[in-house]
Amino acid sequence: MSILQDLKNTVRSKSIHVCYVNVGSCNGCDIEILACLAPRYDIEQYGIYVHNNPREADVLLITGAFSPQWEDKLMGLWEKIPEPKVAVAIGNCPISGCVFNREGSYLDPPVRKHIPIAAEIPGCPPRPTEIIQTILTLAPVIFRDYEGGAS
Amino acid sequence: MSSSVIWYLKEFVRAEWLRKFFFAKTAPLETPAHFRGFPQTTENECTHCFACKMICPSPGAIDVLQEGDTWAPRIYLGHCIRCGLCVEACPEDVLTTGRLLEVQKIDQTSYVSAFHVMIDTVLCKRCGNCSVACPVNKEIDPYLAGTGTASSEEVIMRIIRGEMRVIHPEKCTGCKTCEESCPNHAIRVARVVQGVHGPKGPQGALGGGEAPVLEEGGEERS
Repeated sequence: MSILQDLKNTVRSKSIHVCYVNVGSCNGCDIEILACLAPRYDIEQYGIYVHNNPREADVLLITGAFSPQWEDKLMGLWEKIPEPKVAVAIGNCPISGCVFNREGSYLDPPVRKHIPIAAEIPGCPPRPTEIIQTILTLAPVIFRDYEGGAS
Repeated sequence: MSSSVIWYLKEFVRAEWLRKFFFAKTAPLETPAHFRGFPQTTENECTHCFACKMICPSPGAIDVLQEGDTWAPRIYLGHCIRCGLCVEACPEDVLTTGRLLEVQKIDQTSYVSAFHVMIDTVLCKRCGNCSVACPVNKEIDPYLAGTGTASSEEVIMRIIRGEMRVIHPEKCTGCKTCEESCPNHAIRVARVVQGVHGPKGPQGALGGGEAPVLEEGGEERS
């Protein structure tokens, strides 16, 4: 691994860029992500920056139980994120569908069937503390040994 | 004016101010102990009454499993929504989370459940299948006829003057045999859970619908 790549990886693990997408959530988990941005938790102090554009992000935060409208769209969104990338499922919905996964429902959980998921945070919704801790423990692991692809 | 500018400049080069400005961090992210987390099991013995599983609003979040001779509830992460209803519904206090059990003890609140038997008179064709199939009815009156007529007044339901009537719904155990035997899906059994305020009875959450009324009466007399 070149020194330049090493430097890039160090910088990447210190400044984590996230993008969030709601694939059919009740909005509860989105509000917990919003609480992470607010002064009480303030994720920017840990070097986590939120974007609304997957092309700027390294980490994709997914909330929701995967409604049918996302069948063709989520994969496209995932492919737009530049390498190295990682997806984190937030809340029970992307893991199991939670209370929405009833008989006759059109939802198609878990989300890990559709795109690769690196970490799942259980809870309905999970606490901001748990979201921040997951991102902070996951990001260095993902970026540390990245070899660099076609750039 | 100039003195205040100098004061500010002096303030900005102070080591502590610089440290706070560049390395500001909030307190470590710790969840307070009183927060409701995923339920944990206590020392108490589980009687596998399934009150926790029946009250759980989330599909597949809790199961009561047998390990050797003992039974124990198990919470599945990714399904549990941390509502704490299983903790409150458990008559034996097998589960605990946060301060929920303490608060329940202070407030003297508990849940009682009862089975309600409802018959749709439009769909019911008075065949008497439900009354004959009911295992509780069989226990009470073994001579229950094939038409659902019985001499005993103690059965849960029977045909009275050509109409299927529910006489003693409080004896229902919720097995739903009647629902399965009904050709028209006219009979429905529903479990209704009520929050009650008052000292916890010996039956706890499993007590019948009549239990809290009797308890309150006893309290007034004493």
